[in-house]
Amino acid sequence: MDPTSKRPPPAASSSTTYPPLPKLEILNPSALPSHRFLRPAKRINEGPDVSHFLTSKAYRDIGVWILQLNHALVPRIIKKSTTASTSEPTKDEQQRRQQKAEEANEQQQPPPPPPPPTYALAAKLQSLRKKKDEQQQPTEEIKTFPLPRYRDGEGVDHQEEPESIKKLQRLLKKVEAIIDEAPPDPGPRRFGNVSFRTWFKLLEERADGLLREYLPDGVLRWEQSAGGEKKEEEEGTETETETETEGDSDKKTNEQKQVVGPLEELKAYFLGGFGSAQRLDYGTGHELSFIMFLGGLWKLGGFEGEEKDEDREVERRIVLGVVEPYLRVIRRLILTYTLEPAGSHGVWGLDDHSFVPYIFGSAQYTRPISSPNEPTPLEGSVPNASKPSDITKPTAVERYRTENMYFSAIGFIYDVKKGPFWEHSPILFDVSGIKDGWGKINKGMIKMYNAEVLSKFPVVQHFPFGSLFQWEKDPEAGVPAQSVHMQNQPVASAASAAVTGGVGIPTERPSGPGGVTGTAAPWAQAPAQAPGAGMAPPMTATPWARSTGAGAGVGSSAANRFTPFKPAGGPGGAPHTGPPPPESFPGGTPGTASNQFAVTKAPWAK
Amino acid sequence: MPGLPPSVDLDECISRLYKKELLAESVIEAICAKTKELLMRESNVVHVRAPVTVVGDIHGQFYDLIEIFRIGGYCPDTNYLFLGDYVDRGMFSVETISLLVCLKLRYPNRVHLIRGNHESRGVTQSYGFYTECSRKYGNANVWHYFTDMFDFLTLSVVINDQIFCVHGGLSPSIHSIDQIKVIDRFREIPHEGPMADLVWSDPDPDRDEFSLSPRGAGYTFGAQVVKKFLAVNNMNHILRAHQLCQEGYQVLYDDRLSTVWSAPNYCYRCGNMASVLEVSDTGERFFNVFAAAPENDAVKDQQMNQDKSAEGGALPDYFL
Repeated sequence: MDPTSKRPPPAASSSTTYPPLPKLEILNPSALPSHRFLRPAKRINEGPDVSHFLTSKAYRDIGVWILQLNHALVPRIIKKSTTASTSEPTKDEQQRRQQKAEEANEQQQPPPPPPPPTYALAAKLQSLRKKKDEQQQPTEEIKTFPLPRYRDGEGVDHQEEPESIKKLQRLLKKVEAIIDEAPPDPGPRRFGNVSFRTWFKLLEERADGLLREYLPDGVLRWEQSAGGEKKEEEEGTETETETETEGDSDKKTNEQKQVVGPLEELKAYFLGGFGSAQRLDYGTGHELSFIMFLGGLWKLGGFEGEEKDEDREVERRIVLGVVEPYLRVIRRLILTYTLEPAGSHGVWGLDDHSFVPYIFGSAQYTRPISSPNEPTPLEGSVPNASKPSDITKPTAVERYRTENMYFSAIGFIYDVKKGPFWEHSPILFDVSGIKDGWGKINKGMIKMYNAEVLSKFPVVQHFPFGSLFQWEKDPEAGVPAQSVHMQNQPVASAASAAVTGGVGIPTERPSGPGGVTGTAAPWAQAPAQAPGAGMAPPMTATPWARSTGAGAGVGSSAANRFTPFKPAGGPGGAPHTGPPPPESFPGGTPGTASNQFAVTKAPWAK
Repeated sequence: MPGLPPSVDLDECISRLYKKELLAESVIEAICAKTKELLMRESNVVHVRAPVTVVGDIHGQFYDLIEIFRIGGYCPDTNYLFLGDYVDRGMFSVETISLLVCLKLRYPNRVHLIRGNHESRGVTQSYGFYTECSRKYGNANVWHYFTDMFDFLTLSVVINDQIFCVHGGLSPSIHSIDQIKVIDRFREIPHEGPMADLVWSDPDPDRDEFSLSPRGAGYTFGAQVVKKFLAVNNMNHILRAHQLCQEGYQVLYDDRLSTVWSAPNYCYRCGNMASVLEVSDTGERFFNVFAAAPENDAVKDQQMNQDKSAEGGALPDYFL
């Protein structure tokens, strides 16, 4: 799976060794000189197509990529005595440390094993006191990865970013600057501002030029080695089989067979990341598109240094230096053009627009790992991390939103929402009560993302498939793993048995760049399972199927392939195993809702 | 009220609900059963006389519903027509639909409830009502009672033979309202066809004719469609809800169609106004615009603390 990542030299104190964690494969232009790029095409046309998606290579890649990025943000324990590669704390970090020290600590956490930390979050009074001693002792330090500080409108001000990251930051600046050319229309409107269509049109018109100018060199290399006038017979077998076996309409096949270059393919994911001009809205489907645009760049070798990088420094830069700035652009777009939270689940969703900052932000505060291949911890927090419950305190949120992506997203909620936090954001409120640390939150967020974003038709229906993210079935995805959340695909109930056959929306629906629709049609919800008929949805064991303990489960072998979180020698398996519990639900199994919340008593039943 | 168990006192239910207290599961069961009987006798096209106050989407924003009664008058002093989407997204869908159903039962000729696209099993499983029922009652029984009752809600109302009222909009399968009357509506909202279109469609001022809706259900329809429908049916206006409006309402097509939206500061963030449309006895239309209910956060927080201690926390099982 991962030929590039090397095992680290065995740590002096650690006897545990870990197998390499999965990474998204980097394609090699010399090995694949005739790689044929495709114009990505919509393949998820109706509910049941989501079932196929969940066994596709694209789905596998999405999971590997997000977990790879997630893992990069987990704090590290660095052995100073052996590597001694401690960089000087920057001015920012010193300030931050000081700030924290001043805040004092009502909740002094036990120091990490062994000696005291010296870096960023881990500092505080203790470390200040012992700083002198430390310099003389071989010791460990905990390294955390806060967001770089942003200067007003200037982006990162102190990081030595790799050129590839800098270029993407400039790209985002250019994208953001288009806002100035498309000021909000002052005229009457229903809700979303129609000037967003102008903004989007400008983005579309300039996308080719922008990508050519700002994509990392490694990607542009493919322009020469691929595309061209290659004949189809020479093509990689995978895409070839795909088009044949899937046998879509001739039109679609022909469209796919057009010779396109890497920019054309990447552009679909790039443009898909900035909302819907037609519907004037933005949601997690768009967010996914941008994340996979970055995944595409990775696959094409766009980020220098990956081969040498044992500790995922590049991935970290991608998240902190590109994803967060992207989210800032998105927040500005939402505010400028009042993009409608049309696909929002209201108070019953995590967030009206975003999801990944909750994944990556919780990773930033997770218990540190001591070797590069140690799986992401499933519980625990890095010492001196903010508390999960801090999200309900506006002053704490103001403080942490500049260093942590979770708090950055929460801060935006405070910016735009009125009313008590528990009322407008009850899920985040409940999560803030978790006592097992940020690792537990991180684990839950990833499971929730898989269920509520990747498995939901309204969200993933617009995700397009091409040569980088393939619709083709992942041959190793065979074994279905059952998750209760996958059952929340509303199916017709008893009263509507007559229409159960018609699951799925008409296939000729207009397709656009990804995202949420208005209130999406109910049946447009993903795999049309008919639990009444005893059908379990075909679910691939996924990168998400992290072991949560004893789970000699269905699909455990497949899951093991992708369990970066699996403790060595620990039990594998999918979190939810076995058949769905019997339900007396007439014709439908409302999996999510029934299982999402603990059973509670009615308030009057005291 | 015949059929309701003697233990259920509607007036008492209503006064409790005005205070945002939940009714017991067995009471909901009885009330929904009785409401079904009542709704079953209604036509797919209910004719009413003005004056009547028309309310758009509420989406569980209970405090704003109470604000509507404060502004527009309480039942039965004011006649009300609700255009659907009572549940989902907001925090208090159960309280909202419970109150509306009790009012309907108590004043059947002064309160009318139309079905919205969210009055459906499929949509409520995704957008919150199911979760809310499970969370507030510990099981899904009341969700079953309510959604079974939804199958009987009428699809449209005509005011003074002049104003056609529906949740979403028009359908390419419907030219005359007689075609609405023959729909078999006692069912879950289907995926397509005239019944789906009535609750899902939207006007599109940039087009003349019908076109597939980007929502994945229903259609968008333009000026020509509206003109033709009104001419064929000898009416002068279409009144619908279904779409968020910054100003609380929107009037299109030379005053031939209005959207009324009644959830202010939608989802706690949109900063939009809301409105109710007051139709006078002579058929004049007046949008009564209002902002989010100035609810006292301290009171809410107090209430939250009570709720939380009763519930003992409710964590999505992803995090267990």
